[in-house]
Amino acid sequence: MTEAIRTEALGKIYPGGAVALADVNLSVRRGEIFGFLGPNGAGKTTTISILTTLLQPTAGTAAIDGIDVVEHPDRIRRKIGLVFQRSTADDTLTGRENLEIAAGLYGLAPAEARSRIRAILERLDLGEAADRLVRGYSGGMRRRLEIAAGIVHEPELLFLDEPTLGLDPQGRAQFWEYIRDLRARQSMTIFLTTHYLDEADQLSDRIAIIDGGRLLTAGTPAGLKDELGAGRVDLRARGGDGSVARVLRELPGVTAVERVGEDGAYRLTVSHLDQVVPAIVRSCDAAGIDLASISTRRPSLEEVFLTITGRQYDAGLEPERADRGGA
Amino acid sequence: MYREFVTVLRRELLKFVRVPIWIAAAFVIPVLYLVLFGQAFDLGALFPSGAGGDTYVSDALLGAPDYFSYFAVGMIAFVTLSMSLYAGTGVLFDRQLGTHQRILATPAPRSALFGGILTFRAFSAAWPAFLCLAVAVLLVHVPGMVGLSANAGIGAIGLAEILAAEALLALMFTALFLSFGYVLPSNEAYFGIVTILNLPILFTSNALFPQSTMPAWMQTVTAYNPVSLAVNVMRMNLFGTAAYYPYPADVYLLRLLRWAAALITIALVLSSRALRVP
Repeated sequence: MTEAIRTEALGKIYPGGAVALADVNLSVRRGEIFGFLGPNGAGKTTTISILTTLLQPTAGTAAIDGIDVVEHPDRIRRKIGLVFQRSTADDTLTGRENLEIAAGLYGLAPAEARSRIRAILERLDLGEAADRLVRGYSGGMRRRLEIAAGIVHEPELLFLDEPTLGLDPQGRAQFWEYIRDLRARQSMTIFLTTHYLDEADQLSDRIAIIDGGRLLTAGTPAGLKDELGAGRVDLRARGGDGSVARVLRELPGVTAVERVGEDGAYRLTVSHLDQVVPAIVRSCDAAGIDLASISTRRPSLEEVFLTITGRQYDAGLEPERADRGGA
Repeated sequence: MYREFVTVLRRELLKFVRVPIWIAAAFVIPVLYLVLFGQAFDLGALFPSGAGGDTYVSDALLGAPDYFSYFAVGMIAFVTLSMSLYAGTGVLFDRQLGTHQRILATPAPRSALFGGILTFRAFSAAWPAFLCLAVAVLLVHVPGMVGLSANAGIGAIGLAEILAAEALLALMFTALFLSFGYVLPSNEAYFGIVTILNLPILFTSNALFPQSTMPAWMQTVTAYNPVSLAVNVMRMNLFGTAAYYPYPADVYLLRLLRWAAALITIALVLSSRALRVP
């Protein structure tokens, strides 16, 4: 079976000489939610723009369902839907009119479009607001209308570019409920870029991390964390104040020991969580240390990012410019 | 193709009618311009009656019955030009909002995207002119009315020539400025170009001032200005004064057609690049 998306040595150098993308090899399977992560200017929007036929690559190839995006842009455009980070609806039109326009641009027959639009509006809880001007919509409603416009032609592949940017946590949670529901009903492949690592972590079947136009790693969120292996151990122990820290520090795989509070609590940073925990238990036993409790924590995606790129993830920064592919 | 074209047209129309001020402007602006400027400035009054003054004015106005009538036709063409110059604003805003990118990611034929907006914008630019001219022609048959005075003997061919001149004028500038909306990098650049071109195009035409009163070099420019060409066709037909003009209407129409072909070609080259026509 062909993949939903495949890129080979994809590259983009802008006319000024700026390298936006270099040697990117991506493989997205059909039906999965693929999270595409990276800081600002990493090349996320450039990648989406190439995959959605809005920008020509300067190197390599990209294909959707085995169809080359440069050679057959029209065939690609029929297969894909696009949801931007900002509202692209016409304010002075109603929600329904906006969707009718979107459907018309895909050449849908008016009668078929009407029934589809009615169903989509209901599913996205926009039925009541359908005939009001978009100008009066809330942020969450606008996002939902944006999804509706992206799926009115029932695409096989949906691109979501920073779809929850600017939504409050409740709005984000709700947004994802709709997306999960849609995927369950229509078996769409979803390609998502996001600034929110926790979001990518929870939602994506697989993720890829891009930085400086280069793909750093790709895999399942759990797999990436395992690969990294780093983790944290919190434990509480009694038996000679100085000796606990000394015993723990001497264990192979323990990189840092920190005393937390006064009641014998310690926090350890370890490099191989799976192997280090049994070693801790054995050493404490041998040293006559009474281990009251022990808990472990896997690394967060944020820590994975930090380890791979060597810098902190800057989720709070401004999004990439929306003006894609203008050059 | 047809369905996508109608969709684009419908979007333009819906956006237009949802802003009532635009509808009002389309009807009020030409009338307002005519009343305010035409009445305030009567060229005929500058010359003493008798002693050849009347003949001089009549010759300068190329046989138009009075300055107001002469001016009114020029103003009608100017309103068309002004409206055409804003044809690219919708696309400009779409590009900033990302709507343009979303539309480009649809399989809609690029010709439908360009053609739909061009059709609506050119029509809305020519509409006020058609309205004014229709009123002028109707008023001929109302006794006792004074205003833009049309020649009672105007026939179907004359009317057709007037419509053709107006339509060509609206189409060529609408196409050009629509393509500017696709290619210019910012609002500032776009409105800068509008500001730079608007008045020079007007003032190097015979829309407001008689050509014969201009310096020689300017008369040459004016003779080729598309606004002059359209205005000539409209005036000679509306007033029945073809005898005052060096060429018959079809010569002016042919020149207008050449202008339209040139500007629309430039527009297509510019916008097809921005629209990535394969």
